[in-house]
Amino acid sequence: MADETSTQVTGELTITLNGTQVDARKGELLIAAAERHGVYIPHFCYHPRMRPVGMCRMCIVEVDTGRGPTLQPSCMLECAEGMVVDTESDVTSKAQDGILEFLLINHPLDCPVCDKGGECPLQDQTMAYGPGESRFVESKRHHEKPIPISDLVLLDRERCILCDRCTRFAKEVAGDPLIHFINRGNHTEVNTFPDEPFASYFSGNTVQICPVGALTATPYRFKARPWDLEQVESTCQTCSVGCRVAVQSSRNEVLRYVGVDSDPVNWGWLCDKGRFAFESVNGDERLGEPLVRTGGELRPARWSEAIASAAEVLQSTLTAHGPEAIGVIGGARLTNEAAYAWAKLAKGVLGTDNVDAQLGDGLPAEVVLGLPSATIDEVCAPGGTVIVLGPDTKEELPVLFLRLRHAVLNDGVRLIEIAPTATGLSAIATASLIHHPGETAEVARALVGQPGLGTDAGGVNSAALEVARAAIAAGGPVRVVLGRASVAESVSWTVEAASILSSIPDTSFLMALRRGNVRGAIDLGLSPGLLPGRVTLDGGRANLSGLWPTVPATPGMDTTAMLTAAAEGHLRTLVLVGADPLADFPDRDLARRALAGVETIIATDTYLTGSSSLAGVVLPAAGFAEVSGTTTNLEGRVSVLSQRVTPPGTARSDWAIASDLARALGVDLGFASVEDILTEISSAAPSHAGLADALASSSDTDGVVVPLSGPTPADALLSFTVPTSDALLPRHSYSLRLVVGRKLYDEGTAVHHSPAMTNLPVGGALRLNRYDFDRLGVAEGDLVRVIAPALTIEAPVVVDPAVPRGSAGAWFNQDGLCAADLIDITAPLTVLQVESLNGQGAGS
Amino acid sequence: MGYLRGFAVTFRQIFQRPVTTPYLIGKGPKAPKPERLHGRHVLNRYEDGMEKCIGCELCAGVCPARCIYVRGADNPPTDPVSPGERYGYVYEINYLRCIHCDLCVEACPTEAITETKLFEFSFTSRADAIYTKDELLVDEAGMPKHLPWEDWRPGEEEFTSGWVRATAPAGDASYEGRVGWSGELGFGVRAPEGDQESRDASGSAGRAS
Repeated sequence: MADETSTQVTGELTITLNGTQVDARKGELLIAAAERHGVYIPHFCYHPRMRPVGMCRMCIVEVDTGRGPTLQPSCMLECAEGMVVDTESDVTSKAQDGILEFLLINHPLDCPVCDKGGECPLQDQTMAYGPGESRFVESKRHHEKPIPISDLVLLDRERCILCDRCTRFAKEVAGDPLIHFINRGNHTEVNTFPDEPFASYFSGNTVQICPVGALTATPYRFKARPWDLEQVESTCQTCSVGCRVAVQSSRNEVLRYVGVDSDPVNWGWLCDKGRFAFESVNGDERLGEPLVRTGGELRPARWSEAIASAAEVLQSTLTAHGPEAIGVIGGARLTNEAAYAWAKLAKGVLGTDNVDAQLGDGLPAEVVLGLPSATIDEVCAPGGTVIVLGPDTKEELPVLFLRLRHAVLNDGVRLIEIAPTATGLSAIATASLIHHPGETAEVARALVGQPGLGTDAGGVNSAALEVARAAIAAGGPVRVVLGRASVAESVSWTVEAASILSSIPDTSFLMALRRGNVRGAIDLGLSPGLLPGRVTLDGGRANLSGLWPTVPATPGMDTTAMLTAAAEGHLRTLVLVGADPLADFPDRDLARRALAGVETIIATDTYLTGSSSLAGVVLPAAGFAEVSGTTTNLEGRVSVLSQRVTPPGTARSDWAIASDLARALGVDLGFASVEDILTEISSAAPSHAGLADALASSSDTDGVVVPLSGPTPADALLSFTVPTSDALLPRHSYSLRLVVGRKLYDEGTAVHHSPAMTNLPVGGALRLNRYDFDRLGVAEGDLVRVIAPALTIEAPVVVDPAVPRGSAGAWFNQDGLCAADLIDITAPLTVLQVESLNGQGAGS
Repeated sequence: MGYLRGFAVTFRQIFQRPVTTPYLIGKGPKAPKPERLHGRHVLNRYEDGMEKCIGCELCAGVCPARCIYVRGADNPPTDPVSPGERYGYVYEINYLRCIHCDLCVEACPTEAITETKLFEFSFTSRADAIYTKDELLVDEAGMPKHLPWEDWRPGEEEFTSGWVRATAPAGDASYEGRVGWSGELGFGVRAPEGDQESRDASGSAGRAS
């Protein structure tokens, strides 16, 4: 693997490596060149994804650059023409032996109780290169045994060999320099600042890259030893970035995820939520048997009863009210195969087009498929400009944040951020355009407008706009990371802004939708008006004629429209495929009325959620690590998901549930295995043509980007209507515009059912700028009266400098203040008034 | 009618004395056991009563029959089970699989698991064949627990602990006769075997007393 962080690697040269002439690249580090040619040089501090520091001295080898052989650290040495390297000479061996003896002087013989024991680079290299015995008989350095440096990571300073990997990662890669070396000489240790935990979203990576057992993870502590573990490589579905992970289990229990280095995606990193969400796979409350409502209560039932009961409901709704009375919400948790099976069941068998994998918090599917797409690598390519018009990537797509951060800091990418509040990227952005909520399109218009306009737009001052315009004008492609920055405002402004930005020449888009396989669900038809393969109903009908019994005639409703119809009594049966509208739909009041308004709910889920506990039939689904198949990340990259453990109880994979439901309705979906479905997808979905073969011949780690035939031609993109912006919303000094984003840790299933993470959600509070806060005359954390259009509640209020004046921030799906209670989905923008409980108003 | 010849064999055998004999139960003293006999295991304690097992799973890792199941857990800080951070939370040996090869004993870094010379045990259920930590762990006096299906006489239980390990540290002959193990509950630090030369000269087993 080439060193990504060193200077540009170009040109060819020849070096002599252990007597053999091999090629190397100019600027390539000797240790990397040697590894590329199959010569392993032992090391601890060197990591191919980080800057070399030469701390551990383990990689010293004998190098002759023309002045006779000398020992030099191969991680700090760039290859040069004619260099003669001997990694196996007696001098090298003696040096390695000596370094290891030094490293082991203070390293405790903890190996039997150490979580790293058995997979420890220090252990392995001592066995391979080290001295058999130590001459050191004095007592070793002692520190307090593991101290928690965060809720997730424990630090054992006795074991630390001061390699600088974790501290470098925290500072350079994650940008959270919360751990560092303290003291000098023999007293040097890694630690946090006093009373300041290592609260990084990426702290788990330091555990993975620690070459000894100094950093260990709380959720894995003493759970297993490496020789207990069996592993498969899979793709994380916690968010849509699609990081490659190794899923490791012992005795049919998932115990750990380890990041796998996928060059186009995650570079070996994972976020802590993805890494530690494995606990929710094993949760005690997992659904293990079907539940059917009898006598007003959900009771365990056999599969045959539950399927028959669900089929009967669907059949009677079809007979009495037609297919339009059935709605299907969800599918972003599924594999591609299960998404296709559910699309076939809903659209091909039931004949309803009221199908939506998104819950009113994403982007219209036509927009996702209607704009030219970019991969993560294209977004992060050196020399370009990236416009992030969407959510805080650090909170919602953390590993994409790492890639963007690296691109900006190391590859000269200019980053323009268009957001209603400051985000994790603001500090490194070339221009951070923090605008008034609801005025995204104004900012986009000003950005593509004539330079030197000299006027503010949407609350962004002209100077910042000028900087952003200059960044775009500096040349290179423009890549837009597009998503929803706030679910408290209508999506139409985002769509309009995207459409304005697409007029910049050489622009393409990366869709920052957050749910695991939402792209796969959209691609395979779990969206109103679309059929598998990124085609409209009319465009795909002919293709499916032999495969599907029927195809809906006219486009159906999206989730918002379905829930509205349900609340009004027009939708009779609602099928929730791993969806929990009560927790995830932006307008909780509407979701509540909708679930009460339908006659029957049929739910498939891994846990009993707020929504599925209202269902008439609940079918337990197999979840991540329990099913095999493929998944699609936000780029459209299809990669393989692997099964490692068996599902709890009789839970079944979602495609099998769809297949059984279809059979009970008298239709055979026509597949008996995941492979059958993948074959059918390859022929039924135009964008996925040839997928099965391409996956078979590609590397599992990198997957393949669909469509396989290069960039999508412009005429193959779906068309979408661009909403025309209304007149600017009126601004009142006494009201605050609501901005609702997400935190990485929320009350969702993955965090809620992972014991190690349950303390991590920040909790809900109304966040105000200091200016607005001071006008309230309250103290931090005090309760205030929040007057939303639909209701008035009391909630704690805090100061947040990230929120601009005139806006109020609230996090989605947190305890304390639930943003979904405040949002009225019918209003283009939710406007609040805030009053102190002692009678003072925010604007009075 | 050829099958009748087969039956005839069976019929003839009915009147023969059986080749198999009941085990020595009730028939006087048992035969002496070989010095290095590998019987069932015990989990030892230190002299202060702490368990020696730290739940490191090296025994499970090395076991060729895969008959050992161990899980570690954090030692409760106020009432530690073993010295250090970790203790053996689950410890099970399946004696339907165990081949008494003693590799677990070799692998154990704390001499927690050792084999006794108790090998006379027969069970009538699979559950009994899986010895749990409770059954393997020595009692408050440092003695193995006598399970209902085991046949052993007073005195036999004494031959346990680290000193019966066959090899010296690292297999180095110069360690012969030196104490390389920690003391244990009920016995203290046991004396090593005599070295090979003296044993050969005396012609006796030279067992530590």
